[in-house]
Amino acid sequence: MAIGITFIYSIMKMINWSMGEAYMIGSYIQYFLLLYLIPPEYWYIGVVISIIIMFIIGCLLELGLLKRMFIRVLERRDEYITVMTLAWVILFRNIMASLYGPYVYSTPEYFSRVTIGTLPISGSRFMACIGTVVILAIFWYVIKYTWIGRAFRAVAQNRLGAYIVGINSHRIDTIAFGIGTALAGAAGALLAPVYLVYPTNGSIATMKGFEIIVIGGLGSIAGSVIAGILLGIVEIICSALISTSYRDIYGFVFLLLVLAIKPTGFFGEEERLA
Amino acid sequence: MTTRRDVLKLVATGVICLGVGYGLGYLTAPRPSPPPETAKTPIKIGVICPLSPPGDYGAGALIRRGALLAKEYINKEMGGLLGRYVDIVIDDSSGVPEKGVAAAERLITQEKVVGITGLYHSSVALAVQDVCERHHVPMITMQAAAAKITERHYRYTFRAHAINPDRNKVILNWAKSKGWKRIAVIAEDTDYGVGIVDNIKKIAPEMIPGSEILDIIFPRTVTDLTPQLLEIKDWGPDLVYNVGVGAAAYLIIEQAYDIGLFPSTPMIGSYDFPLKPDFWESVGEKGVGIYFISYYHPQMEMTDLGKWAFNRYKELYNELPVYSTLNEFGVVLILAQAIEQAGSDDPEAITDALIKGTFVSWNSDKVTFPEGEGIYWHQFSIPMLILQFTEKGQGITEARIEYSG
Repeated sequence: MAIGITFIYSIMKMINWSMGEAYMIGSYIQYFLLLYLIPPEYWYIGVVISIIIMFIIGCLLELGLLKRMFIRVLERRDEYITVMTLAWVILFRNIMASLYGPYVYSTPEYFSRVTIGTLPISGSRFMACIGTVVILAIFWYVIKYTWIGRAFRAVAQNRLGAYIVGINSHRIDTIAFGIGTALAGAAGALLAPVYLVYPTNGSIATMKGFEIIVIGGLGSIAGSVIAGILLGIVEIICSALISTSYRDIYGFVFLLLVLAIKPTGFFGEEERLA
Repeated sequence: MTTRRDVLKLVATGVICLGVGYGLGYLTAPRPSPPPETAKTPIKIGVICPLSPPGDYGAGALIRRGALLAKEYINKEMGGLLGRYVDIVIDDSSGVPEKGVAAAERLITQEKVVGITGLYHSSVALAVQDVCERHHVPMITMQAAAAKITERHYRYTFRAHAINPDRNKVILNWAKSKGWKRIAVIAEDTDYGVGIVDNIKKIAPEMIPGSEILDIIFPRTVTDLTPQLLEIKDWGPDLVYNVGVGAAAYLIIEQAYDIGLFPSTPMIGSYDFPLKPDFWESVGEKGVGIYFISYYHPQMEMTDLGKWAFNRYKELYNELPVYSTLNEFGVVLILAQAIEQAGSDDPEAITDALIKGTFVSWNSDKVTFPEGEGIYWHQFSIPMLILQFTEKGQGITEARIEYSG
């Protein structure tokens, strides 16, 4: 989720506030795939299909509703994008509540319970962790070693320069938005049996995602990975030492400390606007 | 480049599309059938319930069904009230106080409702009661259980539901009968959850000497409760008291099962969420063994009103009704009877009738709202049962009656 948010930001310099809803829709897609089409033991095929569907949805949203804001120089583009993506939050949430009712769904478990030492861990959670590592590894490989990955990096570094050398930055925007949305959808699909499937299951994921990208540095993918791990460690350690009741507060305190010491986040860079 | 003009064109296109869509929707929407000839201006009864997130919109949907069932009963079986058609006006609180307040203001000032029912979330009820008190319009809450609602002794507030102190007493008496002393309470950070925690910490030492209570409060939007549940598991309780509402209640069961806390340690839900239609689909096998508070069981005696609602609901929805539906039905009928007893649709007269009168609901023919002491002001308390699901897929008829409070 966090990597999706920061990836979109690094290419398009915009924040997509509806990533939680992409997560939510991904979880619904996974639920219906496992219910009607795919046997539960092949849940990973459902995750792949969810990623593809969310990629297509992301591309269509960008082409239909965002592209025009990037083709021409638009005053107050950031405000319009904020309003647009916040409207998507309300729209998608209520569409799903209307279509699928007020019910809470769950997919079958992905794996049987795993015990690490004395700690029992849900099999689904364990497989979600493995799935995340696989997806991140593929993502890293694409960004580092493929032509399209080089194109992404070029547009992220210097949009005009990339345009001059022949990279179609608008097409890159569309693909990047699709990939970011697909990553959020993948998170929803992987975590469907853990956090259940209902219209607001993405709200807390959105909050955590934004915490992570600010701690890691806006636009830094490596920063997001490291910040995500650090945030989890901080929350768990403070919960164990102080109280679990304030778990979310520890994350925000950590965020404030990071911003106080390094306002751009761990791996963020100061930007000079010409 | 004329970018501002482009933006204006885009906005104008959007507005025109919305207008066309709305117009088409209005023209093609089915019209309600005209009210019977006896109606002149209809008497309007307001219902405020959560119909969208973050509220428990599952419960809201069931409350809405109960209200519409009551409307049918009043207009068809009773022939309306005071010779007039009765309309139910439903508004969405989304489970948040500010939307509840906005809904109450709109219902009272624009729709001119003579009373307000529904009010599932305690935090919404607490906010709405100030509005009703200001406008002198009676409200009857059907499932908001915080003691503070009636503790305030507001003239226009009434409740026909269990209150948290009584709920806690039933659970503590049950725990005492089992010899359990260590009770872990995991509760959401709302007036409902915090109220239950505060009360149980106060009464447990007296009711179960030597008892210990571990309380953990969590934000109601959170999805991962594993750290909290691990803390509980480490503490070693005899009983886990699940005070989540909506999806949180299911998540607690799921995640407690995943870490091996439940069902090895008994868990009791604070209300009848396991009776909701999506329970088994959400939690599956993990829900076997759950205990829960219920205010209703098919073996309980129901009044003729209750039997009518039960049978009619089954006809309409092909499933058994749950408490939320039945109690909202009952509460709207209580308001209707108060209107008849008052002989007027004046909210002040209706309030007087509610205070002085005796009413028939779905589960009792002796519903009264006396001006009792403390939290029993304008309070009609209902009996509670503790039920248990012992097999996957059970419904209310198969649930085992574990304890009667």
